[in-house]
Amino acid sequence: MAGLLLSPTEKVFILHGVQDDYRSDGRSNIDYRPMELETDVVSHASGSARLRLANTDILVGVKTEIDVPKPDKPDCGKLEFFVDCSANATPEFEGRGGEQLANSISNMMQKAYHSSQAFNLKQLCIFEGKQCWKLYIDILILECGGNLCDAVSLAVKAALFNTRIPFVKAALMDGGNIDLQLSDDPYDSKLLDVGSAPLLVTLCKIGDKCVVDPSAEEENCSVISLIVGLTGDRKYYYPKDADKQQSVESKCTTIGMNGPGSVAPKTLKDAINQGIVAAKSLDEALGQALLKERQQNIGIKKHSYGFLK
Amino acid sequence: MTGHVSIRLASERVNACVASGSELPRFYTPGEVISGMQDFMRGHGTYAEDDCLKASVAGVMQKVNKLICIRPLKSRYVGEIGDVIVGRVLEVQQRRWKVESNSRLDSVLQLSAVNLPGGELRRRSAEDEQMMRKHLQEGDLISAEVQSVFSDGSLSLHTRSLKYGKLPQGTLIKVFPSLVKRRKNHFHNLPCGISVIIGNNGYIWISPQKHDLMVEGNVDEIQNYDMQPVTRSDRETMARIKNCIAALVASKMMLDDTSIMFAYEESLKYELVKDLLDPEAMLDIAFLTQHRINNIMEE
Amino acid sequence: MPLDYRRFNGPDDSVSYKRFTDNYLKSYDELYEELIDKNSRRKDGRKLDEARSMCMFFARTDLISQAKGSAYIELKKTKVVCSVFDPREIPHQNEFSQLGQLYCEVKFAPFSCVRQRRPHAPDAEERALSVALRQALEPAVCRHLFPNYQVDVFVYILEHDGACLAAAINAAGLALANASVPMYDIITACSLAIIGEKVFVDPTEAEEHLAIMSPDTEGTNHGIITMSMMSELKQVSDFMQIGSMDVQCVTKVMEILEKECETIVPNIQKVLVLNVVQCFNQRKQLEAEAKEREAALNAKMEEWKKILNAG
Repeated sequence: MAGLLLSPTEKVFILHGVQDDYRSDGRSNIDYRPMELETDVVSHASGSARLRLANTDILVGVKTEIDVPKPDKPDCGKLEFFVDCSANATPEFEGRGGEQLANSISNMMQKAYHSSQAFNLKQLCIFEGKQCWKLYIDILILECGGNLCDAVSLAVKAALFNTRIPFVKAALMDGGNIDLQLSDDPYDSKLLDVGSAPLLVTLCKIGDKCVVDPSAEEENCSVISLIVGLTGDRKYYYPKDADKQQSVESKCTTIGMNGPGSVAPKTLKDAINQGIVAAKSLDEALGQALLKERQQNIGIKKHSYGFLK
Repeated sequence: MTGHVSIRLASERVNACVASGSELPRFYTPGEVISGMQDFMRGHGTYAEDDCLKASVAGVMQKVNKLICIRPLKSRYVGEIGDVIVGRVLEVQQRRWKVESNSRLDSVLQLSAVNLPGGELRRRSAEDEQMMRKHLQEGDLISAEVQSVFSDGSLSLHTRSLKYGKLPQGTLIKVFPSLVKRRKNHFHNLPCGISVIIGNNGYIWISPQKHDLMVEGNVDEIQNYDMQPVTRSDRETMARIKNCIAALVASKMMLDDTSIMFAYEESLKYELVKDLLDPEAMLDIAFLTQHRINNIMEE
Repeated sequence: MPLDYRRFNGPDDSVSYKRFTDNYLKSYDELYEELIDKNSRRKDGRKLDEARSMCMFFARTDLISQAKGSAYIELKKTKVVCSVFDPREIPHQNEFSQLGQLYCEVKFAPFSCVRQRRPHAPDAEERALSVALRQALEPAVCRHLFPNYQVDVFVYILEHDGACLAAAINAAGLALANASVPMYDIITACSLAIIGEKVFVDPTEAEEHLAIMSPDTEGTNHGIITMSMMSELKQVSDFMQIGSMDVQCVTKVMEILEKECETIVPNIQKVLVLNVVQCFNQRKQLEAEAKEREAALNAKMEEWKKILNAG
């Protein structure tokens, strides 16, 4: 937020607070503010989620389409990320104002989901070399109150968890072309395996230490932030087949820096380790919330709470 | 070392509404007829049409003799002479500072309306004009009093008292100005060792209590003092008060020293300050505070 | 995206003919086999931990005479040109900005890549590289010295054979220094590719391609890391990672990168110092020539004076 101005004494107060591991609202350096999550909020999307983190509000919709796979990856589907910074969030986003921010976020997401260890694109394959699913993940930023990357990655993972892809009933080969027959029943569908999908953690360097989930004031005190993408753990999302798999260590799928400053190599290492801790607790909390919501809606048609208080 | 993350579901969303003891006032919406034209005068938030007085904003009616105003629920701060405000210096101009004060137009602090170091009222020389940035620079927070209101509604401030002026270390919370109760005193030293300035403009400043040793110190000493780290216990109390105010605001409760202190006392049952960020805890505190206020009112 | 009608655009779904060659159809394992021979040497004869800059660092400045500063860096088949232009007022901006700004643009030549023809309009990768380049350069430049000004940095990648971002950052750092833009430190960058246990320092395009591809076996580390550093200040100005690897791997690799970045510094310094020496020599020569001319002129004058006096 460029419009924010802070006095030197306020900055000193925040700086000492971070040094003391006790921030101005009582959080420690690795605590997140409470979040609110709802999946399946958009009726015309295959999967959707809305996440609210303090003032940041993210809505994600997943649309599925059929496409031809890339020639060098015949057995993989496609993922496409689009970020839209709505001018509703701040007037600065009007016109092309939010474009740069939107590009950098979608770039980050694309990189984070690149590896097959983060998200296995093979589950989007329909017919090798001929047809595959293409997921359009549209991210809408409705309100922006800092820490966008983290919120976006959480919302995307929740939306993918919620995404249903129809079963293919039959495929007819017709002279090289393929005719697919899909069922009309929306419940005749499969869910995606997104347990290992990555989460982004932004670490804001203030003084010598880094904090996660910075408030707008804290972001103002920092000249550089580090964004780390870390894979999730399947056991939080699919506890039923947990005994089959051993717990895997989370892996870095992307690292990037943002801001005009620079960091010492040691701080960088510490920040990455701090990011792993934060990502793990994020992942666990997200898994719990998603499973709980699924549990609540078994058998009954989901009641959508949407945007009304 | 594990981070604290809580993700709630929308189905667990709490309604932050706290029923207050008093009856709800009549609420007007834009275009609604308030009364006939004959007996009343047209005030802010109303307009006349077809011999009727109609509301132009959504809000509650205020009647002073024959003057009818509709006060909107969410509005920017409308200043009155004598109000205490907290504001932020935006710009240093010729012989004055521009101060952001949550009102429609930026306020003005004249160079002649501040106490310059040296104490008594002395003539402002050209040298003082050049030193303005040393006194207050862009981004600095000040507490001030509204000296006069210009015809266009912008405010002229003054800090000609020791209690006003540049603010030391602390945090600022912005709330709706309509939630701040008008009181005689807006500077409070709470019994928990924290001082709070509840600005009429909805800016609330929380800082550790000042120690008296530095009233007559020289400038360098004060500056040094300003940069000292705040102690951990003060910091915890400040964070608790900040979260309590946020809880009260979420439930749209009026803010003054009593309600803040009540909320603070009620919040002590939550051991960790960060637990107060949870919406349920916030509602709990707001509810208990309202309960105590109701009890006092009954007595 | 708006189509450029003045240029010939190939059909949308055309593919490179190389797709149908044997080389293309090789499996992951075959490609992996190819990268290293039995003596654990790479295709171009380097060892795994040997950067291209080690055996032959080729760089020069003042390639583009009209720019304030320019640099050209060649790492075998990766060739990069960079030019830096004079500071100018930031266009379309009405607010005063205390710090000067850097405008960076990275562009691939249409014929620079092995696998595809680069489109004329900037694509997502180029935009991402531009952002990364700016991120890497910004901390090194004393931006407070030219408030409200913008310095343009243009990088053109003529040939891309891996590590193009690192090459671009090195070239841009050299060009900035050549343009005498005030800087805190020389900025250098290095990249490496990780495939399983093997770490390829300064990878070629083929190595990068394989590192980005996801291996079939679960849990193997793979990916590319690019890091840029200000070696004297021991500060990392940009760190880019893609792929999937555990933290131990990242931290281990960081040390290698740090060392590599430091080894490039003397090379850059050498180019800069040579420049100064050359400049100095040139000036000396010019001065000597000027003196010679003056002496000749004086002699002529004397001659004419004599003639005049005699006449």
